[in-house]
This record gives sequence, structure tokens and C-alpha cells, in this order.
Amino acid sequence: MSRRIRTWVLLLGGLGVAVLLFAASLDLPEFGGDRHPYGARAVEAALARHTANVVAAVNFDQRAFDTLGEESILFCAALGTVVLLRQTRDEHRVRPEPARVDPPVRRYALVALPVTLLIGLYVVAHGQLSPGGGFQGGVVVATALHLLYIAVDYRALERIRPVGLYATADAAGEAAYLLLGAAGLVAGTAYLANFLPYGTFGTLASGGVVPLLNASVGVEVASGVVVLLASFLDQAVEIEDATEHTASGPARHPTLPPPSEEKPT
Amino acid sequence: MTPAGTLAPAAATTLTPAATLPLIVATPLLGAAFLVAAGRRMPRRAAETAGTVFAAATAVLALSVLLRGTSGDVPGARAVEWLGGRHPHGGAGVGIVLVGDRIGVGLAAVTSLLVVAVLAYSWRYFDEPPHRQAGTFPALVLIFQAGMCGFALTGDLFNAFVFFELMGVVAYALTGYRVEEKRAVQGALTFGVVNSLGGYATLLGVGLLYGRTGELGFAQIGARLAAHPTGSSGGGPDFLVLTAFVLVLTGLLVKAAAVPFHFWLPDAHAVAPTPVCMLLSGVMVELGVYGTARVYWTIFAGPGGIPTADAHRLLLTLGTLTAVVGALMCWQQRHLKRLLAFSTVAHTGLFLVGLAVMTPEGTGGTALYVLAHAGVKAALFAAMGILLDRFRSVDEHELHGRGRELPLVGVVCAVGGLALAGLPPFGTGLGKAVTEEAAGGWQAALFVVVSAVTGGAVLRAVARVFLGLGVRPEAAGQAEARTDETSGKDEEPETAGPLSRIPDTMLAVPVVLLAGALAVGVVPGLHAAVGRAADAFLDRAGYTAAVLHTPPAASVPTPGPHWSAAGVALGLLSAALACLLARWAVRHTGPTRQTRWAAPVRRLHSGHIGDYVAFILAGMALVAALLLPSVH
Repeated sequence: MSRRIRTWVLLLGGLGVAVLLFAASLDLPEFGGDRHPYGARAVEAALARHTANVVAAVNFDQRAFDTLGEESILFCAALGTVVLLRQTRDEHRVRPEPARVDPPVRRYALVALPVTLLIGLYVVAHGQLSPGGGFQGGVVVATALHLLYIAVDYRALERIRPVGLYATADAAGEAAYLLLGAAGLVAGTAYLANFLPYGTFGTLASGGVVPLLNASVGVEVASGVVVLLASFLDQAVEIEDATEHTASGPARHPTLPPPSEEKPT
Repeated sequence: MTPAGTLAPAAATTLTPAATLPLIVATPLLGAAFLVAAGRRMPRRAAETAGTVFAAATAVLALSVLLRGTSGDVPGARAVEWLGGRHPHGGAGVGIVLVGDRIGVGLAAVTSLLVVAVLAYSWRYFDEPPHRQAGTFPALVLIFQAGMCGFALTGDLFNAFVFFELMGVVAYALTGYRVEEKRAVQGALTFGVVNSLGGYATLLGVGLLYGRTGELGFAQIGARLAAHPTGSSGGGPDFLVLTAFVLVLTGLLVKAAAVPFHFWLPDAHAVAPTPVCMLLSGVMVELGVYGTARVYWTIFAGPGGIPTADAHRLLLTLGTLTAVVGALMCWQQRHLKRLLAFSTVAHTGLFLVGLAVMTPEGTGGTALYVLAHAGVKAALFAAMGILLDRFRSVDEHELHGRGRELPLVGVVCAVGGLALAGLPPFGTGLGKAVTEEAAGGWQAALFVVVSAVTGGAVLRAVARVFLGLGVRPEAAGQAEARTDETSGKDEEPETAGPLSRIPDTMLAVPVVLLAGALAVGVVPGLHAAVGRAADAFLDRAGYTAAVLHTPPAASVPTPGPHWSAAGVALGLLSAALACLLARWAVRHTGPTRQTRWAAPVRRLHSGHIGDYVAFILAGMALVAALLLPSVH
């Protein structure tokens, strides 16, 4: 289609959809109304099982099967990325050069790394109590590890990031969720049913099986994001076309001073 | 049934059919996790065997539910499982429900069996897997299986969206699996962009329905819509319900490849690895059709929803358009995988026309048609995969006469082409005959013509490739490299180098699949079961009653699909027509001749993602316009 026709089709179709959405929005319930049928039931159901964070109760108890699907989407996305960004036959790896980092950046990143890691683990561990949980905390944990790339260089990151290990942990997190669900079938009433005591409201061990499912998602997300980023970073930093290599040489950072200046720790 | 006590201990001493439902989703996922964790240290053979075992175990679970759980004394018995034991109280709950009725569990079973066939087919397939990732391909296929089974079994709209996305994500990765080829990456990207847009529309629709009803389950939303039919005047939908229906349908129609939402399909199917095409065309696209029907019949078929007449108009229009465009494009392809892809589009159109009948007869016929089509289409793709790996080409012209050395593959293709045209006693013939009879009139003619054209296109290719009939392309002084045509020349084989000998598994799989499609047509017990399944599928009150534990209403069973004299005659007519078309094409048209009047339609399939996105918006406006008369 020519650009002109395409624009017309897009405009007319978009106009139709816009009218439709506008008309629908007039029929929506008033903003800020006090009728929340699902919300009311969900809060009641969460408190009945001593889960302080109602969102966690929805994610890991009431609609835990949705979370299984979502976790699997991330698992699959990481796996798919590894496949799509793999090193192909006509590509080869170039060992990344050590890079010089400005001292203030380096100091900041090295201080921020353990703090970020701790916050990430905290957010995972307290998912049943306060906002956050396995998904959010897992991303924070994965981010913390990558501060090493900023603080030092890619080789340092690679040292603490054996991709195989994280891929295995990714799979273990996924499997743990599935097996906890099966345990609910064996020890409880149904797949993903609670089979643990509810515990004391407001403590780490409250909410029955919620903390365990939350933790397995935390493991899965943290390792999945590491694997995901590793695929992209490898592609950007290490993997090169044969042609590109011969043309420009192995140096990725031609403006940087020679490697000897900076010793990675 | 009373709501189970929240802590009835150790109830699962025996695995009831209902309790088995979540395992149909969990088993392949567990297999995928195992393959990712252990696949790095496994030889390829072990990883592939493990993948096949997990897929087969899932198939056994699905078949066991199908045979035990849904064949009770109650007509339309459904296995209903509330995950986490979160049963509703007084029609209101917070949990997710899986509903295993015959159609849903049947689709999960077919999907699983096809996955087993695909994994067996790919045993000798692909050059060496990526370094230390022997388990990756089977793991992805298992996740695909889990996504499709979950989508078929869920009774919850948001959960259906989650599995819709899972199916999507894994399908994009599988489509682009051969990253060395630019075309594969392009096809996967188009597929990803277009399907994601459809998914967002669906999610928006889910949000609107949730805003109105505060519910996410199919049955619960339907019950709320029926209880409060839009305030002022009862009956039809208001704009919110109409918009929600259009939005939810958009994602499903993109998946189903209904015109004008279909553009991604040929681009993706032409480049995806052949085993993946078998799954995409065999079941995934059909799940979009299933989702459309499921959402309509459980949510929107009652008061306050979309009246039957309007849904009929919508499905009939889209179906006819899809069938005609699919058949037209199918006939003009020389890239054999693209040809099969457009034949899937054409058949999707026929399925939609079958659903548009809005009766158990039409739905039962369509169900049989889908079932047999899965076997036939997967077998044909499997045969094309053999050609690709033997000759590095899927170009009908380039392969002229070269297929003579593979007579068995030629027989598979010929039989597949006849089955595609609806030759009795194949299941495709029965499904087509029953649906034709239910639809009647000009729609019966549409079924005959469209199936004959798609079958004829396959037979034409068989005549040229395997029999060497017609003018040789070089002799015809062919002008090379048309710009608006995908030839299928110079394809990379998907195995380690061109095959010198065809592995037994690659030949056995299509033969078994065709035998399955034949069995669908001749096993009477299956026909009765499909008849009952269709009754239950359209029984909104029964579905709601089973999910919400309210007393069911009595339903009147309709007779199951069966062969009739008229059906057999029309099936033979389609097959004969297909043969005549193929004969005419080989005799009277040179390989270079293209129908000029169809060029505008051909050019719409430009490969430009922007075009496809524009057509999605236009399609949404079209769907809304078709439904507009229903609004109060």
C-alpha cells in the first residue's frame, strides 16, 4: 500500500475505534464510586488467611494460577531471548576489553550495589506484608548485580554472572512454583491450595503458602532478568560479525586508554 | 454440590477428572523447567526423549479427563475445578475456575497429541542445536503446549488473556528460531507486533467488562450482564458492552487470522520452522476461533449481551470475507508453505461461517472440521518440510518434476490435498458436510468452492512437483523475479545440510496424522461425543450452573454429526472440483501466468507492518459497525 492509502486506512480505522472508546467511556461507572465488588471480596479473603498485603493475596493465593501463567511468560521470554540472540555460525565472540571508570561513578556504584541487593531481597521477603513481592524485588536484585558493570566493567560482571547457573535457577524457581501447586493438590484440597498454617497476621511467616510462592517467583524473576540482560549484553558487547571484526578490529572502545590502566577487581 | 470446606484435608486421594485439569497445564511447564535446568548437560537425544515423554504424559492426562470426566450420565457433564479450592459462595468468589467440557478438553487433547507428533517429527530435525542448549527447542514446544491447553481449559477471561500471551510469546520465539535467516526474524517480528496489539485490545476489553461487572470469570461476567441488562431498556448491549466485545474479539480474531486481521499469518508461517508451522496452523489459529465462540457463548449470548442475530451477521461476514480472500490468495502461491498458510486462512473463514449458524449442528460440524483439519494441515506441512530439507526449496516451479524420487511424500501430499478438499470419508469431509447442511443455501456453495480451491492448489502442486506434469518453467521462458511474489527458492534447509535420505520419523508422522484425520471421519462414537459436546458448548445456562454450583436447567440433546447422502455427494463434488482445477491449472496456465484481476488483493499482503496495523484498526471499526444495529 502506498503511504497515502495506509494513512487513510489508519485514520479512518482509528477514528472509528476512538468514537467507540469514547462512547464506551460514557457508560463506565463513575470515577471514585464506592462499589467495588471484587475488591471487597478480595480484601475479606486476604484477611481471612492472615495476608496483610492484599495484592500478594490476589497474586499468590486467590488468583495464583494467573501468576503461574505470568511467571511462565517471563520464563519463556528469557528462554526465547537466549535462542534468538544466540551466537550464530557466522558470528564470533570477542573478549571484552577492561574499561576505565571515573572514580566517583565507581565509588557510587560499589556502594549502591550491596544496598540495592539488600533492598531487593527485603522487597522479595516482605511481599506478603508490604507493597512489593517476588516480581518487583526480583527485578531489583537483578539490577543490583548489574551495578558491577557500571562500577567496574563487563568482565567483572561476567565473573559473578555464570549464565548457566542463573538459567538453572530460573528453571528451579519455575519448577518450585509448579511443585508447590502440586503439593496443594496432595496435602490440601486442590492445585495451588494452601496447605500450611496461616501464621500470625503481620509477621514474615504469615499467609500460609503465599511467602513460599512469592519466594519462588522472586528466584525466577531475579535469575530470569539476569539471563535476559545477559543475552542482550553479550550481543552488544561480545558477539560480532566476522566482517565487522575484520573491518574495525577487536577494539570495542577505541577512545579508551589501554587496558593496563585499570585493574578489574 | 455444596461449596467445599476450605480445609477438607486429603481430599485428593484419587485424582478426579476435575483435579486433573490444572495438571494438564502444569505437566508440560514442569517438563520445560526440567529441560532448561538439565538440558545443558544432556545429549540431544536424551533431551528430545524427555520432551516427548512430558508431552505424551500431558496427552494421557487430557485423554483420561475426556474419557472419564466428561462422559457422565448428565448430558453436557463438565469437570469444574476451582484452583486453590476457592469455590464461590452464593455465586460470588475470588478464584479462577477451569472448566473441562468436551470441547475444551478435546482441544487440549488434540493439541497434546499434535505436540507429540511434532516432537517426534523433529527428532532428526534442525542442524545442531545452539551450544549447550539441547533442551531449548523441546522446552519451548512444551511451553507452547501448556499455553494452548491452559487457553482451552480456562473459564476465566483474564486467565484466558494470560495464556493467550503465553502462547504468543513462545510462538514468536519459535517462529524466529532460525535467526540466521533475515526472513525468519522479519516474520517473527511482524507476528509479535501484530499479535501484541491484538492482545492489548483484548486486555482493554477485559478491563471494561471488569469495570461494569466486577467479575473476571466467563460465567460470572455473563451472569452479571444478564442480571442488570444495562439499566434503562433490557435486551441488547449498551456501548460499553459492545466496545468490550469488539476489543476482546480483536485479539482472538488476530490469533484466528480472520480477514483483515490475518496479515501476520502467511508471513510467519512461510518462515517458521516446519514443526512449528504444524502447531501454528494445526491448532493455534483454531484456538483463536475457539476463543471467539467461547467468549460469545459464555459471556455475551445472554440478556444484556450481543443478540444472536447480530453475532450471526458478524461471524458470517467475517467468515465469508476470510474464506474468499484465503482461497484466492492460496491459489496464487508458488511458495508451498505460503500456499498452505493461506489455505489455513481460508479454512478459518469456513470455521467462522460454521459458527455463524449459531446452532449445535453448525458448532458440532465445525468442531469435527477443526479436528480433522489439524491432522491434514499438519501432515501437509510435514511433507513440505521434507521437500525443503531434501531440495532446499519450497518453490512449486523450481521443484517441477523433482519430487518423482519421493513417491511416498507425493502420495501424502495428494491424499492431504484431497482431504483438504473434503473427500469422504475423511473427517474434514464429514465436518464440512455437516456444517454445510446446517448453514445451507449459498453458504453450502461457499464451502464447496473454497475447500475445492484450497485442495486444488495442493493437488496442482502435487501434479507439478511429484508427477512433473505441465510445462517446465524454463521451457516457458519464465520471467524471473517478480516483485510482488514470494517464490520459495533458495531456502535454507532446517536440517544439517540437505537430507540425502528421509528419516523414517519424518515420513511416519504425516502418514499417522492423515490416518487420524481419516479416523475422525469414520469413528461413530466420536461423532456422538462431538454432538453432545456442541450441545454443551452452546448451553450458556448449563455452563453458568456448573461453574457457580446452581441447579442446572434441563437441555434437549440434538443428534450428533453423521454422514448423509447429500453430504457425501457434496464432498465428492468438492474433491472432483479440486482435481479439475488442478488439471486445468497444469494444462492451461503456464507457470508465469498470474491472474491480473487479483493483483490488488495480492499487493495488500505487502509485508509492511504499518499496513497490517492500519488494517487491524480498520477491522475493529468494521466489527463495531457490523454490531452497531444491536445497540440500545
